[in-house]
Amino acid sequence: MSRSAFTTGLVTALAFAVLILVFFALLGKPPFVMVSNLVIYAVGDTYSISQTFAKTTPILLCALAAAVPGRLGLISVGAEGQLYAGAIAGTGAVLLAPALPAVLLVPFMLASAALGGAAYGCVPGLLRARLQINETITTLVLNYVSVLLVNALVFGPWKDPESQGWPATAFFPQEAILPSLPGTRIHLGLLLAIVFAIGLHAFFTRGPSSQKIRILAGNRKVGEMFGLNFGFWVVAMMSLGGAIAGIAGIAEVSAIQGRLQPNISLGYGLTGFLVAWLSRHQPLVIVPVAFLVGGLVAASDALQLFAKVPASSAVILQGLLFATALAVPGLMKQMRLGFGR
Amino acid sequence: MSGPVVEFKAATKRFGATVAVDTATLDIRSGEVLAVLGENGAGKSTLMKMLYGIHPPSEGHILIDGKPSAVQGPADAMRNGIGMVFQHFSQFPALSVRDNLLLAWPKTPFWTGRRNAGIAPALATLAELAPHIDPDVRVADLSVGEQQLVELSKVLNISARIVIFDEPTSVLTPAEAHNLHGFIRRLADDGMAVILITHKLADVTACADRIAVMRRGAIVDVSASGEKPISSIVSLMMGKEIKRTLTAPKPIKQRVEQLFLNNVCAKAPGMELRNISLRIAKGEVLGIAGVAGNGQSLLADVIAGLHPITSGDVVLEGQSIARRDVRQTLATPLGYIPEQPRENAVVEDMTLLRNLNLRALAAGSRVDDEALDLLSRFNVNPPEPGRLAGSLSGGNLQKLVSARELGTPRSGVLACYPTMGLDLAAIEMVYQELFAQAEAGAAVIWISEDLDDLMLAAHRIAILREGEVVAVKDNDGTLSRDEIGALMTGLRIDEVAA
Amino acid sequence: MDAELFAILAAWSVATLRSATPLIFATLGETLTQRVGVINLGIEGEMLMGACVGFAVGVATNNPWLGLMAGAFAGALLSLVYAFLVLVTHANQIGSGLAVWMIALGTTSYFGRALVGQQVTPLPNLGSDWMDDIPFLGVLFDQMTMAVPLAIAAVLFAAWWLANTRPGMQWRAVGESAVVAAENGIRPRLVRLHAIVVGGLLAGFGGAILSVDYTQTWAQEMTKGRGLIAVGLVIVARWKPILVLPICLVFGLAEVATLRVQSAGFAVSPHLLAAVPYLVVLLILIVSHIMPRRDTGMPADLKSVFA
Repeated sequence: MSRSAFTTGLVTALAFAVLILVFFALLGKPPFVMVSNLVIYAVGDTYSISQTFAKTTPILLCALAAAVPGRLGLISVGAEGQLYAGAIAGTGAVLLAPALPAVLLVPFMLASAALGGAAYGCVPGLLRARLQINETITTLVLNYVSVLLVNALVFGPWKDPESQGWPATAFFPQEAILPSLPGTRIHLGLLLAIVFAIGLHAFFTRGPSSQKIRILAGNRKVGEMFGLNFGFWVVAMMSLGGAIAGIAGIAEVSAIQGRLQPNISLGYGLTGFLVAWLSRHQPLVIVPVAFLVGGLVAASDALQLFAKVPASSAVILQGLLFATALAVPGLMKQMRLGFGR
Repeated sequence: MSGPVVEFKAATKRFGATVAVDTATLDIRSGEVLAVLGENGAGKSTLMKMLYGIHPPSEGHILIDGKPSAVQGPADAMRNGIGMVFQHFSQFPALSVRDNLLLAWPKTPFWTGRRNAGIAPALATLAELAPHIDPDVRVADLSVGEQQLVELSKVLNISARIVIFDEPTSVLTPAEAHNLHGFIRRLADDGMAVILITHKLADVTACADRIAVMRRGAIVDVSASGEKPISSIVSLMMGKEIKRTLTAPKPIKQRVEQLFLNNVCAKAPGMELRNISLRIAKGEVLGIAGVAGNGQSLLADVIAGLHPITSGDVVLEGQSIARRDVRQTLATPLGYIPEQPRENAVVEDMTLLRNLNLRALAAGSRVDDEALDLLSRFNVNPPEPGRLAGSLSGGNLQKLVSARELGTPRSGVLACYPTMGLDLAAIEMVYQELFAQAEAGAAVIWISEDLDDLMLAAHRIAILREGEVVAVKDNDGTLSRDEIGALMTGLRIDEVAA
Repeated sequence: MDAELFAILAAWSVATLRSATPLIFATLGETLTQRVGVINLGIEGEMLMGACVGFAVGVATNNPWLGLMAGAFAGALLSLVYAFLVLVTHANQIGSGLAVWMIALGTTSYFGRALVGQQVTPLPNLGSDWMDDIPFLGVLFDQMTMAVPLAIAAVLFAAWWLANTRPGMQWRAVGESAVVAAENGIRPRLVRLHAIVVGGLLAGFGGAILSVDYTQTWAQEMTKGRGLIAVGLVIVARWKPILVLPICLVFGLAEVATLRVQSAGFAVSPHLLAAVPYLVVLLILIVSHIMPRRDTGMPADLKSVFA
């Protein structure tokens, strides 16, 4: 990391810390107590750490899902929708072959989820590649559709008749539950996410296609001059990102909820987008940043329980963090120029 | 005689660490044309943008009518009667002529509806200057010469007493330039102070009263027109004596045709190429002349396989190299120097070394370190292979692209304005490398806006007008500038002279 | 028989208009913002903020008009955050919009919990006794509030303003090129600030109409992407205020149609039907990109943001 990137990161962190204090002060809560509560609820004991990792997993996967197209210079905010699409496809696989042994069912379920997410990411990719339709808008609009699709399924054909009024599928058989560390909510999804991060790092820095993607991201016209096909890579990266978000979806359903029901994601897609942006789309930076933001989300859940501060404070804080990270580099640049004058 | 209207007092402009204008001292008087002469990047435009308020001086100051200038931005400048005709006109192509005039007019009323009589004076100047221009037409639909007339009316509309022209003839045909010289003269005779920024000696000899020569940000000489011989002014401008030693490539002994354009048709927004057929032989340099915006960039993109053709074919050594469908891409086998290298030819956040190796990288192979010699051979400055391309100046980027495209032997070369933004020494170097390609057996297409250079070195010259090749002329020494100029504009020669 | 047909037609028309009204305001605001070369995804947040604050003030004061004005004010206030990020710190426009959206999402669900289940005084209907006998118009006005004519008037005014005033001309110029505008003596940053705030004002007003006038309730995240849809519809409307009207009506019609199908008792999942308006937006986005055209009407300075 270069020195200026380090300074920028440091100043951003400091500015954000000040904003958190101001935020709690404005809410009329003792700011320093609240911040120390946040830290305690995020990493204070094994239960908290387990909760933090449980939140980190989908955020990390969604961040990777946003970073993959981000590497090509695309701004895809579709991880939320792709997550739900993956959850649908993965659940479909489980409903289709519930009797398979775990060795077969888990891979089948994960592969279906990845495919579902990829297909859902592929659509805005194709629209961008063929018709030049801005991917940010299409991914955002499509997010709402797959959420509604899940609702339609769990209120309708996939509804478990034994669940009475509750809209959800039947609980997954034990063979379709992702294995987790005993007594915690840390499951296979986290391991997968870290493996993906390492794999993507290698792909984007050392892989045979790494330079092609860099050329296209840097200057599309130059890439086409040397025979690179922007459209192909747009569809490929959007699909790959979708596949990763799809895994996030089925991991939540299988390991956390145990069945498909509405609201499987608490805005993980948008949070993941934020993490990817903060990490400048670098997979290995995304891992720790996702952990920090995951801690924030988990801790504010706990705050709601114990301190009666609504969990939506986490969303406000994420927004403030995003705004800070956007504002600081520009302000620092202006100050540097100002001193130089 | 009254004192000068504008005085620069040791004015300096820095951009970060670079000094664009260094302690410039100069006075400007009413009723005369002052030519500011210098090469690209000598600081001429920056000097005048200091006066116009776009780049206020970092040090020193500027006096207007003997009082310190309070110009903080273009709006102030206009209020002080300073007008500037920018090199790339300061117009909005998507808006109508009328809107463009009203936007720059200080007295625009709040309601600009068609029926408001208050807007009539804003259109009056144009009606006088160019009665044939319809104010409701979009500026994008005007010719370059007409756009310049609109730009002029804007400046006259603010009742300017100081008018700055930034390279006004670089986009004009010879005949249009001639008209402009006369117009500039008249402005000065009417009592205005006119500043003419240019790198063309022809502009200076045609209408300047005084000449200020700039080199590397400093004003090195100010003299009355005619006081010094042209040769000494040129050497002041260059710093050292450099003779134009543009050696034309050898004539072709036997035509072996190598690069074919067969009835090429292509469409892009606002431009259409119709039935372009050209044959370029091994060792031949075919020049393409035309007024800017007559399809040059589309033609280049079509030949380089970037823009899909609607019909026809481009064939190099028996192989089609045209793109037929946006969904399919192909790596061009041509050495291709596109216009505006920063936008079209380099990846700014990659290193120089990687930019030299883009072909290999795009094909998925490794970087070739031998490319390093190219940096020194093509005088890329600084020659640091690990530096990011984005940090290079425009001229050095142009050299970097030339190094990549002309550094190894090719069977076909396509060069679009390959010397844009280069100093004279670099221009010589690029031309040498370009012609060396031809002598080594390449078929070369050379798109240029410099008619003199084309006539000095091209074997044949094709003239492009409104997306069509209207003529292909053998450059056998009998061609005249006026003849080509007439073909470029579509006017007859006697009309051009008038 | 004619009377019956008229009545159905009128009912559909008025429902479509009412459903489209919040979107018309938001899309118009975003059109104006984009005309100066700025794309503001934060409009979703500004709408949400307007809906929340507007509803709260409407409930507190028992005056829907005060609520609408407070909503517009809240939207404009939030747009200042966006303007700060984009104009002062030169941050990425897409990122800044999403940040503003997140802030609004969190803030409204934090403070909006108290509003759930509250009642607001609605705007009065436009109909009056003497109108009831007029076929079509009688029904139309009877179910319409002042919001609809206001939206139409706002669109017409904005179109006229852009074309026929000096500031309107300057807005168009800045959208084409901030650099050239500066050379012509215009201050692009100031112009952009104005347009962003006007965009926020209109989005906030649209949001307030949604909660105070249309649904007359508050629910968390109740705009459901209407602001994001607005960003897409601006492209379909080719950055022309006047086209905002028909295009938003298509969305309104889609929404009304799904509601009617549902209440008519067809055995289609209401959730699937709820997805229809989003798909319709995607569809018209696709159609508008397929249609051949020489000139997209896109402000040239947007191209750098909006590749």
